[in-house]
Amino acid sequence: MFHQVGCFVVTDFNYENKMTVEEFRGYLGYNNEIDRYLIGMRVLAVDDDPTCLKLLDGLLRKCQNQEKARKCMWFAHDNAVFAVCWIKCKRQIEMAAIAVHQFADCITCHAWSPDQSMVALCPNNNEVHIYKLVEENWERIHVLQKHDQIIVGIDWSKSSNRIVTVSHDRNSYVWNEEGSLWVPTLVILRLNRAALCVQWSPKGNKFAVGSGAKTVCICYYEQENNWWVSKLIRKRHDSSVTSVAWHPNNVLIATTSTDGKCRVFSTFIKGVDAGKPKKSGSGSLDAKFGEQIVQLDLSFCWAFGVKWSPSGNSLAYVGHNSMIYFVDQVGPSPLAQSVVLRDLPLRDVMFVSEKLVIGVGFDCNPMVFAADGTGLWSFVRYLDEKKAASSSGRYGSQFTEAFGKFYGSSKQGTSNDKGRAGVHDNCINCIVPLKKSESTKMTSFSTSGLDGKMVIWDLKNQEDLVEYL
Amino acid sequence: MGEHVEADNAEAIITRIEHKSRKIESLLKQYKPVEALKTALEGSPPKTRDERCKSANWIVVHSALMAIKDVDLMFSSLDPEYYDILMKYLYRGLSTGDRPTCDQCLRIHEKLTQRAGLGCILRALSDTVNTV
Repeated sequence: MFHQVGCFVVTDFNYENKMTVEEFRGYLGYNNEIDRYLIGMRVLAVDDDPTCLKLLDGLLRKCQNQEKARKCMWFAHDNAVFAVCWIKCKRQIEMAAIAVHQFADCITCHAWSPDQSMVALCPNNNEVHIYKLVEENWERIHVLQKHDQIIVGIDWSKSSNRIVTVSHDRNSYVWNEEGSLWVPTLVILRLNRAALCVQWSPKGNKFAVGSGAKTVCICYYEQENNWWVSKLIRKRHDSSVTSVAWHPNNVLIATTSTDGKCRVFSTFIKGVDAGKPKKSGSGSLDAKFGEQIVQLDLSFCWAFGVKWSPSGNSLAYVGHNSMIYFVDQVGPSPLAQSVVLRDLPLRDVMFVSEKLVIGVGFDCNPMVFAADGTGLWSFVRYLDEKKAASSSGRYGSQFTEAFGKFYGSSKQGTSNDKGRAGVHDNCINCIVPLKKSESTKMTSFSTSGLDGKMVIWDLKNQEDLVEYL
Repeated sequence: MGEHVEADNAEAIITRIEHKSRKIESLLKQYKPVEALKTALEGSPPKTRDERCKSANWIVVHSALMAIKDVDLMFSSLDPEYYDILMKYLYRGLSTGDRPTCDQCLRIHEKLTQRAGLGCILRALSDTVNTV
């Protein structure tokens, strides 16, 4: 398949007699170059009559949505035969979003079951709804009710099939599936402020909770007493802990906070973690529980959404000042990079591979970041092409009118009449990877947001990103 | 974050600003408002907590800003690295409430937002540590 982007020039024909379609096809068939004009073809249309161009524009838009087109259309305007040959105009960019579903008015967070047949989400209240995909329809099969206030974190362990939920009510429950019921077990976190985020450790034997009490709770299961014990990391944070992320070694944990800093701690627990903590590229040999390994002072404002890369060598997190930070060789001398964002801030990030990161946030459109051969990270593009095309050069329709009033002149009339025409209509605040099995490469993930939609994305059709996967 | 400047260093900063101000005055006399603005924005002392330093620098930036007549021309020769700091000063200008200053700042704000995007505004507003 050719990837050459060519330019096809169409000009205003002026024939005495109209050509038949066959003749026209024949005319073009003469040129064996036809097969070269494939994906990514651009058309330059030249005509002295603006009406023709408008019509052509309409035709091309219609054509864009068709799978395979070896179309040849032509029409006459006055004495001119205006012909367009649209050769193999397969839609230039495959949509990355492969499924969309409106689950509620607003989704706070979501998590997938280990086999990815079910999704657990919080519809902005104190319940967890579990949906199962049954023959193309999402059916709600369970409602978990135990919390008193909004549930802000849900995680579903791949290894143990347990669900952990945390809420503003300062509690956490671990849910075990027993038969057809989900049975909750209260975990006493000993918090005097809301819990804000939760994540199971890679092995599923611990989980971490970040809270507004400037602490991180590391919870593990004590077999003898048949309950979950919470150990607190009290020191170091000056403000709320907004997100937590486990390193693949099941001992180190990264946190972000509204004090702007990202920190890495050891959560080594005797009896739960084997032997002494091992040095794995990051972290010291004898780090005790709660010991801070690294503190990153890259941001001056709230930090969110920290995640480790699959190998654990790098991490990424975002700042509320429209910046994203990448840190390689996390340890005593980390290599940090700050990437400035043009538009609104991000809320969460996810590593697709060592060199590819997806960020989601207030732009309602996932952003793709990639590292080049030298390890330099940069913004590649928005994932949702429809949205990106309509807002390129301008900054989102909802702001244009506001700015118009602000500057005292009406700006750009109707501006983007498509408005928020992309997949998500509101801030995306959660991004979760979807991986079929340990051996396959991850290419798909899901996002949920304040618009109540959950969207599943797949990158395998995105040709420009395949090299990073 | 880094140590904040001590009081005696503030004097050194103010001296530097005065020196800068003389250079800017001469640039303005030569009808080079963009150069003047760049000089004013350079070496802005955001890490100091001393209000006198901030005010002194603001006066200098303000004089350069008010001299700008052609905003588009200014942006064509202003490097993107200055956008964030310029945005901070624009908000300082808008907060003065003085009519001519606000008019000028608003005019520049419009073009700066078009060029730098909303992220620039976010960075100016959310940074409570490095203020101008």
